[in-house]
Amino acid sequence: MNFTADAPPGSRPVPNLLAAALAVGVHVLFVLMLVFGVSWQTHHPEAVMVDLWETLPDTPPPPAPPRPPPVKAPKPEPVAPAPKPVEKEPPPPKTPDIALEKKKVEAERLKKLQAMQAAEEKTRAEAAKAWREKQQAEQKRQALLRQMEEEDLKQRVATEAAANEARLARLTQAQAAANKRQAEMASVVGQYRDQISAKVRGNTRLPDNLKGNPEVRCLVKLLPTGEVQSVRVTKSSGNPAYDDAVVRAIEKSSPLPLPSDRDARAAFVPELSFVHRPKE
Amino acid sequence: MNPELGQDLSLFHLVLHASLPVQVVMALLLGASLMSWWYIFIKMFALKRALRVTDSFEREFWGGGDINAIYQRVAGEREGAGEMERIFEAGFREFMKLRHQTGLSLNVVIDGTRRAMRATYQRELDGLESHLAFLATVGSVSPYVGLFGTVWGIMIAFMGLSSVAQATLAQVAPGIAEALIATAMGLFAAIPAVVGYNRYTHDIDRLANRMESFMEEFSNILQRQQATAKSV
Repeated sequence: MNFTADAPPGSRPVPNLLAAALAVGVHVLFVLMLVFGVSWQTHHPEAVMVDLWETLPDTPPPPAPPRPPPVKAPKPEPVAPAPKPVEKEPPPPKTPDIALEKKKVEAERLKKLQAMQAAEEKTRAEAAKAWREKQQAEQKRQALLRQMEEEDLKQRVATEAAANEARLARLTQAQAAANKRQAEMASVVGQYRDQISAKVRGNTRLPDNLKGNPEVRCLVKLLPTGEVQSVRVTKSSGNPAYDDAVVRAIEKSSPLPLPSDRDARAAFVPELSFVHRPKE
Repeated sequence: MNPELGQDLSLFHLVLHASLPVQVVMALLLGASLMSWWYIFIKMFALKRALRVTDSFEREFWGGGDINAIYQRVAGEREGAGEMERIFEAGFREFMKLRHQTGLSLNVVIDGTRRAMRATYQRELDGLESHLAFLATVGSVSPYVGLFGTVWGIMIAFMGLSSVAQATLAQVAPGIAEALIATAMGLFAAIPAVVGYNRYTHDIDRLANRMESFMEEFSNILQRQQATAKSV
C-alpha cells in the first residue's frame, strides 16, 4: 500500500534570515548603547596644591630691571716677567803694590774698627727701637682688650635687658590670655546658668499659697552628662511646698544643659549650687 | 586605551582582559543571547502570520463560503496554508474518502475525520511550539551562568589582592567590573527570552483553543451533513 496521498504537507520555510539579521541588529544596538551611553573611562580630578596664608601676601616686588648682559671681563694679559740678565762687570785687576798694601791694611783695620763701632751702635739703636715698638704694641693690645671687654659687658647687659623685657611681655601676654579665657568662661558659665534657670523655671509649678519672692538654695549633684543625681535644699524658703516644687522641677529638668567646654563645665559638675527665686 | 594609565575600564578592554573561564562564560552567553533573539524573531513572524491566516480563514469559513470551494483552494496552496486550514483540509479529505466507502456507519466516518484532524492539530501545534523550550532554558539558566562567571571573576580578583601588601579598591575594581559584565550579559540574554517565552506560550495556547473549537464545530457540521445525506 502506498500512503503518499495521505502524507502530511511538509512544514513551511520560516523567514530565518530576516530573524537572524534582526537578532544581530539588537545586539549591535545594545553594544553601541553601552559603549556610547556609559562613560567607562574614569576621569580623576587633577590634584591641586593649596597654600594657606594667614595674611595677604605683600604685593609682589616690581620685576627686577633686566640685568645687563654680563660683560666679559677682559682677560688680564699674562704679565710676562722680562728677565733682565744683569751683567756684572768683572772686578778690575789688582795691581800689586806692597807699600800701598801696608797702608791699605792699616786703613782697612781702622775702617773695620769704625765699622764695628758703627754696627754696635746700630744694633743698640735697633734694640732700643724694638723695645719701644714692643712697648707700644703691648699698650695697643691692652687698650684693645679693654675695649673688647667693655663691649662685651655692654652687650651682655643689653641682651639681659632684652630677655627681661621679653619675659615680661610673655608674662603679660599669658596674663592677658588667661584673663580673656577667664572672662570667656565666666560668660559661658553665666549663659548656661541662665539656661538652667530658665529650664527649671519652665518646669516649676508654684504652689498657690506662695507669697513674695522667697529664695531657695539647692545643692544639685550632676553627672558629666548633665543628669541630675540628687537635689538637696541647703537654704529653705520657709515654705516647704515651694521647696518641694523647686526640687521636683530640678529633677524634672534632668538632663540640665551643660557647656561642652571642660573648664566651663567644672563650674557645674559634680556639684552645682542653685539659687531659685519664683519671680525674676 | 592605554593600559599604562591604570584605570582603563572600557568595555572591550574589560572583556579582552578577563580570565579564560569568564571569557568562555561570556562567549556562551553571547551565543545564547543571539540564538534566543533569533528564535524570538522567528516565532514573532510565525505567530503573526498564523494569527492573520487563521483570522482570514475563520472569516471565510463562517462567512458562508462553499466548503468544497474552500477545500479546493486550501488543497491547492498547500505550502502557504495556515494551521487551521490544514486541519480543515485533513479532516475534509478524510471525510470525503470515508463517505464514499459503503458500509460505514456515521460514527465511524466522523471518528475517522476527527482522528485525522487531531493528528494534523498535534503536528501543527508541535511546529508552533518548536524552539520555545530553548527560550525557556535560556531564560532560566543564563542568569546562573552569568553569576558563575561573576563569582569566578571576583574570586580571581581577590586572589590577586592577597599577594599585595596594601589592598586598595583600585586593585580589585577592574576584576570586579569585568566579572560583573558576565552577570549583565546573563541578564541581557535571560530577560528577553523569558518575556518571549511567556508571550508566545500564551499566544499559542489561545491559537490552540481556537483550533480545538474549530475541530469540534467542524465535526458537528460534517456529522449533521452526513446524517441529512443518509436520511434523504
